[in-house]
Amino acid sequence: MKKPAKVINVRQRAESESSLAKEILAPLAGMGLTINRMVDNLTGKVNATIRYPEERRAYSGRFRGAHILTAREDGSPRCVACYMCATACPADCIYIEPGEHPDPLIEKYPTRFDIDMLRCVFCGFCVDACPEEAIIMSRETEICAYSREETMWDIKRLMSRPELPEFGLGYRPNEKLVDSTIKFTPKQKEKKPLAGRVTLKEDVEMIPHVTFDPTKD
Amino acid sequence: MPKFTLNNQEIEAKPGQTIIQAAGDHGVEIPHYCYHPDLPIDGNCRMCLVDVEKMPKLTPACTTIVNEGMVVRSDNPRVKEAVRGVLEFLLINHPVDCPVCDQAGECRLQDYYMVYGLHTSEIPLNMKVRKRKVIDLGPMVVLDQERCVLCSRCIRFFDNVTETGEMKFFGRGDHVAIGTFEDRPLDNPYSGNVVDICPVGALTSRDFRFKCRVWFLHATDSVCGGCSTGCSIRIDHRDGAIFRLIPRRNPEVNKSWLCDEGRLSFHELDNSERIQYPSVKASDGTHATVSWQDAVSSVDSRLKEIRQSNGQASILGFASPSATNEALFLFKRYLGTQGTTQFEFRLDSEDKNVIQDEDKILRRVDKHPNSMGAIKMGLVSSELDGIQGAINSARAGRIKAGVIIYFKPLVRRDNDDEAERRIRELIAALEYSVVLAAHTADWQTAASVVLPVAAWSEEEGTYTNFEGRVQLAGKAIEPDGDALPVWEVLAMLIHASGAESPWMSATDVFVTMTEQESAYSEMRLEQTELPGVVVR
Repeated sequence: MKKPAKVINVRQRAESESSLAKEILAPLAGMGLTINRMVDNLTGKVNATIRYPEERRAYSGRFRGAHILTAREDGSPRCVACYMCATACPADCIYIEPGEHPDPLIEKYPTRFDIDMLRCVFCGFCVDACPEEAIIMSRETEICAYSREETMWDIKRLMSRPELPEFGLGYRPNEKLVDSTIKFTPKQKEKKPLAGRVTLKEDVEMIPHVTFDPTKD
Repeated sequence: MPKFTLNNQEIEAKPGQTIIQAAGDHGVEIPHYCYHPDLPIDGNCRMCLVDVEKMPKLTPACTTIVNEGMVVRSDNPRVKEAVRGVLEFLLINHPVDCPVCDQAGECRLQDYYMVYGLHTSEIPLNMKVRKRKVIDLGPMVVLDQERCVLCSRCIRFFDNVTETGEMKFFGRGDHVAIGTFEDRPLDNPYSGNVVDICPVGALTSRDFRFKCRVWFLHATDSVCGGCSTGCSIRIDHRDGAIFRLIPRRNPEVNKSWLCDEGRLSFHELDNSERIQYPSVKASDGTHATVSWQDAVSSVDSRLKEIRQSNGQASILGFASPSATNEALFLFKRYLGTQGTTQFEFRLDSEDKNVIQDEDKILRRVDKHPNSMGAIKMGLVSSELDGIQGAINSARAGRIKAGVIIYFKPLVRRDNDDEAERRIRELIAALEYSVVLAAHTADWQTAASVVLPVAAWSEEEGTYTNFEGRVQLAGKAIEPDGDALPVWEVLAMLIHASGAESPWMSATDVFVTMTEQESAYSEMRLEQTELPGVVVR
């Protein structure tokens, strides 16, 4: 129910509502605010405002910023184009085209790996889904572009991150595995004595990929 | 009919059936690798072990024949432990290739692991046996020996179905590997079937390799358009592109097999350009794109003129043995209203080839899926006797106009160019020709009207195979441009001619066809699902 409006005469209101007490106490309230502020500043109350971009917040090691595609020791992408990230992505922003890798132990690699950074919601599901630790996230948030084409990041852009040391690595599965930008140093394994007939990958030459040509042999 | 109890459910099995077959008939899935309904029983994988009361040990369900009063359990802890043990053994030396393996998503190791396994592998990684990977076995198949679970389905396929014996086990113990002798390529027109029957990613298709992950694909049931056998298939497609064809099990037609040419037949659809828009030849000889409305009214009015000035027998209806039954039915109906009595479809004695075997397993000589459908529809003329008769008649002036449906065959043979040359001659001999085709060809510039139609897999319809079996083929992808299914074009023509044209879908045409065509009377749509119905 709407209350009916009152009819005001401002002169009558000024005469009925003014009082000396109010006139004296009003500036005291203002002074009180100022003194409170001074006391806070003197005692070191936390002020949450920072002066960005000269000052930046410290994000945690699990911050989900822009993506990085990690590399193997020889610099090629670790990704095997398994489509786990593309399937898990809720924004459907990853487009991958696979290709045949000459090494039969690796077999598959991405010839195209595009992320539409404008569709991306930075949820980190792609990092969770990846079985090869090929995609991780950094703490980089300052991604801007002059055109829409620049916001579609291809595999070259995802692998090369000149400003990464400044921002640091973010969301990644194994904190010890990737220690610096995108290089990977393998853990040292101690040699264990083994029994029985074994085939050790590190010690012996892999069984080569043999093909016979029946017309020549 | 022995009755037995499976998991407290009473099941009646056919005499001579094994437990796994009887269970499968009643919807109970018993996990298995080496059993296949169309291959001889091996019993080597030990995944189908079930607990039969009064038998001291677990018995494989694929080898145990059902006896009256058997009590079988496949869901008690003893069975589950055994299945898990088998899985554990298989997964010891199985490579963790799931990210790169094409079988991911349809792999039975993955599926059974999620239900029965969920264990951690306890073998140290450097004791794992390694075998060879990425071996080319010919243009269709890629072998990865490390992923093989040694179920021997491929061996039994090549020994029993194609009787060529190309694949065998090599080695002993945990170094057993599957392969061909000296890695020789599989020189076999049915080699693609081992890709389907391999339960893991050991044998994968070279054609489908890495193209798409299987969980992105949509499946449509259909019929192969490669030859008159009409094998039941499933079209796997995504976003308007077909990725592969997989055979569906039809015990009456193709069992679980599909020939390699049929498997690759969908590539032929993209091999040449598609006709996008209807076009009518103007008086100066060039083709102008017109709307469907204009094209249809122009065709109908011109055919009426020709009929009035030259008599009823001057219009020829030349159908395609690759068109669906619904298309052929409306073709006959429309030209019947124009008074045509001359119907033909034979480019190259398809009526003799339709039942002719090309080999002993599946393929037939006639590379059109619906020749028998055209024969049953009565699109044969004894006086014309094939396209040559039609050409002669047109040259002699007895036939003035023709409506021609032409689909180029999906499985190529040497005499295809001959057949196209005859179409070209027919069009050259006719004064007025209307061509309904899907793919462009240079002989279409001579036609008076060219109407774009949907090709195989782009329209729903039924096909009649060599023995008269009618099967329903579903629509998987959309046709290019403004192309419409053949039945829809003919329905528009019927409407333009003033007759009733109430059909809104291919199913409507099917129902009318069963009411009015004597060959297909008393056939119901449900009967055209697997395995199809034979009409006499």
